[in-house]
Amino acid sequence: MLARRSLARIATQPSPLGAAPKNARNMATLREIELRLKSVKNIEKITKSMKMIASTKLAKAQRAMQSGKQYGLANSEIFQHAPSETPAKRKLFIVVSSDKGLCGGIHSSVTKATRRAIANTEKPVESDSPIMVIGDKSKVQLSRVLGKNLAMSFNQIGRDIPTFADAAGVADLIVKSDAKYDGISIVYNKFISAVSYEPDIVEVVGENALKESAGFRAYEMEDDVTKDLAEFSLANAIYAALVEAHACEQSARRNAMDNASKNAKDMIDRLTMQYNRGRQAAITNELVDIITGASAL
Amino acid sequence: MSSATWRNFFTYNKYAQITARAVRQSLKESERVVAEKRGTTALKYQQWENGVGGPQVFLNSEEDKK
Repeated sequence: MLARRSLARIATQPSPLGAAPKNARNMATLREIELRLKSVKNIEKITKSMKMIASTKLAKAQRAMQSGKQYGLANSEIFQHAPSETPAKRKLFIVVSSDKGLCGGIHSSVTKATRRAIANTEKPVESDSPIMVIGDKSKVQLSRVLGKNLAMSFNQIGRDIPTFADAAGVADLIVKSDAKYDGISIVYNKFISAVSYEPDIVEVVGENALKESAGFRAYEMEDDVTKDLAEFSLANAIYAALVEAHACEQSARRNAMDNASKNAKDMIDRLTMQYNRGRQAAITNELVDIITGASAL
Repeated sequence: MSSATWRNFFTYNKYAQITARAVRQSLKESERVVAEKRGTTALKYQQWENGVGGPQVFLNSEEDKK
């Protein structure tokens, strides 16, 4: 449709490739298409290379995720055998995302899951439950919606595969902070396959709930050791969530860049057709001029 | 040693990180380089009050100047 319109414009005004001012509009049309074509070609190169990089990072991230998940599984073993009697009223939400964009809907899916969990009517939590965010992108989204609940935020995680040192640092800061909570919920993206992910919430039992659970009371445990275990299992759970979220981010980025490259390729084909048709129409017009001029002699 | 006083100063996670750093520094050069990568963290954090964020602080402020 656009091609036909520009063709009609070019046909009514002679020699669009000439430098005459009254033909400036047509020259801009052809020149415009040329510029757009060049920029879309550059974009396609960039998104293609980003896709390659994300693919290689995904392979590494998936391997790290397989070994990192064991930490989370060890945790859930303990919590299975020591379930808490009373449901936690005041939860600390730890939202795991990252600092970089261009990765599809990773950050907004985690933000939406957090909002849903806080507004949940089946298992109500206090509306001023503290939230701690890892990653700038979700931090920005959450500060707009649930800004009053934000207690702390972390960044510079996720540049490379997350290390246990990152998770231990986060857990340390959480324990040292004076946020009040009965239980902890970690909101992250679960890796389902290389093309899909979904937000998930994993519960971590706090120190007091562990002490009061029937499973623990059956044994003689020193309070110190229970506190250590609670802190260490928090770091474990954060680490498992971090590596899995990292793998999801790489796969989502790869898919997003793949789609972007495909769209860019479609645009390039369309624009090239448009450009060639315009060019050929211009040449045809020139020929017509020349021939009418020659036949007049 | 039944009475350990480190609990008065830092958490178990910090304790584990310190011991891990000691183990890594005691490795042979080639192994140490690989292990150091597993222990790096460039974490930054900020406190929030009432929807407003405080200044961002490095967790390991001496190490980030290296």
